[in-house]
Amino acid sequence: MSFSATLRDVTLKYRDGDALADVNLDLEAGKIYGLLGRNGAGKTSLLSLLAAFRKPTSGEILVGGEPVWENAGIVSRVALIREGGDFDDSDTVKAAIETGQIRPGFDTAYALKLAERFELPLKKKVRELSRGKRSILAAICGLAARAELTMFDEVHLGMDAPTRDAFYKELLAEYMDRPHTVILSTHLIDEVANYLEEVIIVDKGRILRHEELEVLQDLGATLTGPAAAVDDVAAGLEVLAEQQLGGTKSVTVAAFGPGTRERAAAAGLEIGPVGLQDLFIHLTEPSRNGA
Amino acid sequence: MLALQNLTLPNRRFTLGLGIAQAALNYFKYWIIAAVAIAFLGPLSLSQYNEIDLSTWFYTANIAKWFTAFVAGGFLYVLVPNMIATGMTRRELSVAMGVFGLLWSAALGVLVFAGLLIERVYYGAMDWTQGIQADNATTAIGTWGETAAFAAVYPLLYLAYFAAGALIGAAAYRWQSSGWLLLFPVLVVVFSLDNAVYDTEPFGPSWAGVLGRFIDDWGRGLVLTGIAVVAAGLAIASRRILIDIPLHSKKA
Repeated sequence: MSFSATLRDVTLKYRDGDALADVNLDLEAGKIYGLLGRNGAGKTSLLSLLAAFRKPTSGEILVGGEPVWENAGIVSRVALIREGGDFDDSDTVKAAIETGQIRPGFDTAYALKLAERFELPLKKKVRELSRGKRSILAAICGLAARAELTMFDEVHLGMDAPTRDAFYKELLAEYMDRPHTVILSTHLIDEVANYLEEVIIVDKGRILRHEELEVLQDLGATLTGPAAAVDDVAAGLEVLAEQQLGGTKSVTVAAFGPGTRERAAAAGLEIGPVGLQDLFIHLTEPSRNGA
Repeated sequence: MLALQNLTLPNRRFTLGLGIAQAALNYFKYWIIAAVAIAFLGPLSLSQYNEIDLSTWFYTANIAKWFTAFVAGGFLYVLVPNMIATGMTRRELSVAMGVFGLLWSAALGVLVFAGLLIERVYYGAMDWTQGIQADNATTAIGTWGETAAFAAVYPLLYLAYFAAGALIGAAAYRWQSSGWLLLFPVLVVVFSLDNAVYDTEPFGPSWAGVLGRFIDDWGRGLVLTGIAVVAAGLAIASRRILIDIPLHSKKA
């Protein structure tokens, strides 16, 4: 069983302002979601509410159809892994892993297998780990939690590229083996794009977009071909990114309608999907949202 | 924590409390062994130069009170983010801390009780006086019965200090810049009651015993009742602070 998640009119206020304002969000069970947003947009606040790390100022949060706050049956099967993890730094790596046994579903053997694979020194104290190794420890504890809703908040920070790749593959393998709901919050958007089914974009404490990945990618397109032909078709369109190599040009445009698609096809241009990162930058442009 | 293996959801708060107590006693076992060794060997070496007329275990027992408060506060401060991030509710954590407090206080209380009684035999064999400093004079603790009654109070005192430490630890986590200020009112109440139990000289900062002048005439039974009430009040206040405590954002 995997958990759905619902936020109804949720507001979270901090002393210095609203972190989230009137958020409504429905997440179906058993999907991999990408949570995107600029720094301070409210991503971590949103995840903290779903994991009952914080109580909302107002509104209702349901996970698996039940209120998540102080619900042992639910929170024991929800895992939010924050960058660097929430460990007792004086513990050894092995003890930190074993603390996960507080969750009835925690798979210690799997965690130890991953620790060996990622070359984590079990006898070392957590405080002695490098940032990268600490991130790996956090990721391992998240995977081994075998939770029904697993959330990774910038957990990749400090991991090198091969380790990140191995982590994403392990996450996908675990997901295929045991379908559950996953939310990935990250700034490395294009790196995770291939794994996502739906994308949630948070901006200034509100949900800006919540779409399937394909729907988002259809909001724009990448046109590649002779520079003059590309410029001709792209004229008047909002260009999100462009690259040129010799006489060949590639531009990413937003608001790519059927008429433009026909013109691009007639001009012999190659039409590709828009990069999620380019689209994200475009959608969260401060000038676009009245900032 | 060995106790965590094979736990189930309904009983995990108790299992965790037992596990924390085991882990804490295991973590500090060498400190405890060293304290016991010093309590017995200290007077033997001092007797070469001075007449022994004070109970070393009295001092050991008093240091253990401060140590207990430190353990409770320190553990809770670390356990709040650790346990909640591992899928525990705040209610479960408060029950686990209660179990930990009871077991820790009982363990140290039994140790001190045994220590004071064994010390009585030891001092008797060495022809020393097992006394305490009270009202600027050294007073012998007394008969076997009086020694046992003297020592029997410690589990309750440890419980009060544990609750005080837990309250300050919870407040310090919740209000990171100012929570520790609770230390002052809590210390004054607990310390004044503690000093009133035996009419002893303050074993710690003398200003913290400022309420002693109002308590000294209460009588032992009322003072002990007061300590029990204060311990319960502090435990309730800790739970109240804990019950909706938010986890702080991680610092990059």
